[in-house]
Amino acid sequence: MSSSAAPAAREQSRPHASMLPAAAFYIVFFALPTLCLFVLSFWTADGFQLIPGFTLGNYEKIFTSPLYRALMIRTIGVAFVTTAIVVPIAFAVSFLMRFVFERRGQFILQMVLLSLFSGYLVRIYAWRTILGKQGLLNSTLQWLGVIREPLDFLIYSNFAVVVTLSGLLLPLAVLPLYSAMLNIGRDDIEAARDLGAGRLHVLRTVLLPMAMPGVRTAFAFSFLLSAGDFVTPSLVGGAQSLLIGNIISDQFRGIGSNWPLGAAMAFVVIAVMLASYLIVMRLIRWVTTW
Amino acid sequence: MRRTIVDDRLKNFLDAKLNADVSRRSFLQGAAGLSTLTVLGGTGTALAAGGKLGGDLNFLGWDGENGANVAKPFLEANNIKMNASFQSAADEALTRFNTGGRGAMDILTPNKDFQTAILKSGVELFQPLDLSRIPTASGLFPTFKTASWLVKDGKTYGIPIIWGDEPCVFNPKKWDAMPAKYTDFADPKFKGELVLLDDPFGNIWLWAKSLDMPEPSRLTAAQLQKVLEAMLKAKPNVVTIGGSHGDMADVLVRGDASIGIGGWAYQVVIAKGKGVDLKVGSPSVDGTFFWSDSYAIAVDAPNLDNAYAYIDFMTKPESNAALATELSSGCTVEAAYDLMKEDIRSMFPYEHVRKPSGSILGTQIVVPPQKPDGDVVGAASWVEAWQTFKAS
Repeated sequence: MSSSAAPAAREQSRPHASMLPAAAFYIVFFALPTLCLFVLSFWTADGFQLIPGFTLGNYEKIFTSPLYRALMIRTIGVAFVTTAIVVPIAFAVSFLMRFVFERRGQFILQMVLLSLFSGYLVRIYAWRTILGKQGLLNSTLQWLGVIREPLDFLIYSNFAVVVTLSGLLLPLAVLPLYSAMLNIGRDDIEAARDLGAGRLHVLRTVLLPMAMPGVRTAFAFSFLLSAGDFVTPSLVGGAQSLLIGNIISDQFRGIGSNWPLGAAMAFVVIAVMLASYLIVMRLIRWVTTW
Repeated sequence: MRRTIVDDRLKNFLDAKLNADVSRRSFLQGAAGLSTLTVLGGTGTALAAGGKLGGDLNFLGWDGENGANVAKPFLEANNIKMNASFQSAADEALTRFNTGGRGAMDILTPNKDFQTAILKSGVELFQPLDLSRIPTASGLFPTFKTASWLVKDGKTYGIPIIWGDEPCVFNPKKWDAMPAKYTDFADPKFKGELVLLDDPFGNIWLWAKSLDMPEPSRLTAAQLQKVLEAMLKAKPNVVTIGGSHGDMADVLVRGDASIGIGGWAYQVVIAKGKGVDLKVGSPSVDGTFFWSDSYAIAVDAPNLDNAYAYIDFMTKPESNAALATELSSGCTVEAAYDLMKEDIRSMFPYEHVRKPSGSILGTQIVVPPQKPDGDVVGAASWVEAWQTFKAS
């Protein structure tokens, strides 16, 4: 064996060695804190003190409280609507970048990425400027004579939360979808068309299945991030658009906080989000193979 | 000219900080980069009574209350290295204390409500202060010399650094004055006009007071429910619930609401800078509530001499005036009042702090008991009621 071949052979004999740093990072900064939070969800809070123990009381409270149930349903609803807007638009944008404006695809991608250069809060405040009572949209519509009074529902509403979240998450959804589209050749589409497949059939049986890794990631980004967000609803959601994330954050700050209850809420949200994710993925698979 | 530059920088600094995180106290930011506003007195190079100065000083408190800029000459002259970290919630100091921070924390800056709750609960966090080592504390306003929320069993646990109140802030083009009571905000004429601060205790307390509850901070479950119902009557009029005073100011400046409940006088200054006229004025019958933050020393503080000398320096009139100006708050030292600019000091009703025995700051207890006390519900129930209000 030559000396230059020795490191490669060692690498082959330990195929997972290169993953160790990343694995260690995830274990220390994700798995262990998550485990701690999970353990905490079975404890109780007594005034300023955490009492170690094992109780399902926190989970029981979440499932029996009409307040938490309603917020959970509202959160999942907002997340689904946001995802249902973001993923199809991102899919269409990615398709256009890949197949219609192929030459300018990279340029469009740079433009999409550019929007991520501005801060998260800055973008939320920008949406507030657009959607506000005296914001860009209302002012323009009034100037055009389309409306006389500002449209109240544009800001501080579920509508504003969905629009803002969609705006925030769209670039994140385009990235994996465009990446997945790059692996689809024109030949694949043309072959399907030659065999008599209509546009919808091509979309369902060729494009979607081949772009599935991107769809999964885009769905995960859109759904999980919107279901877990609490800053957007607090800044543009108004007095009636609280989501479960806001309630969870309340449990971890200030006098009257209840960390174990907050931890239990976080795990219920994670479980519900994962279940929703799996159901939707199964549904998409069924549609594309049907 | 220099004054103008400094004023502009102060204004920009405060504007930026106002848009950070939750609550008034969260806005308080380190003044790094901001010029010292007042020519400070002596830098306090000295031997602390009972020890030599120098080395580390660990600070955990509200951002800005470390007075990085104000304390700089003192710290440099005494070779003290301040290790400052900032809390985002009132109880963060306790969390750190109980999770390995004990023995590594010196200066804390609790607010009145949190310090009251801790001292009442008997939980270990603050150590009693040796006032002979803080001679400048003798210059505090009468209210702060005998502040009831800082004293337990005859021992003092904190030196007040800044204070203020949380009035209504409103647009005078829409309203001449505020109604007499907070419950009056349920009137449909306020529809789409109100913005509240995301503060469970402040809001519930204000409505409990408005409903003439005998002890607004000590409510039974039935009383809390009654308060919640009264608040829900006003809910249709609420446009949004601001995450911070800066966020509230932004909503008012944009014209998305015209009345901020539980606001801050400094919001008027911000709005003026943006060409919007706002006014301060609380309900004439109900009034509002007051807050104050203090310097305290943690149990088992490792740098006790530095901590005492630091507090003593920061309680000098010049230091206190500079810090209160930087943080746009009320000063706690009587002689500091004359060193402050009129536009800042006129924002707060100083007549209250000239009275002894804690005055209204002492008698006003805004937070509920941390745990249920007989029929009286604890803080968790208030938080849940507030969440119900927000979610409804």
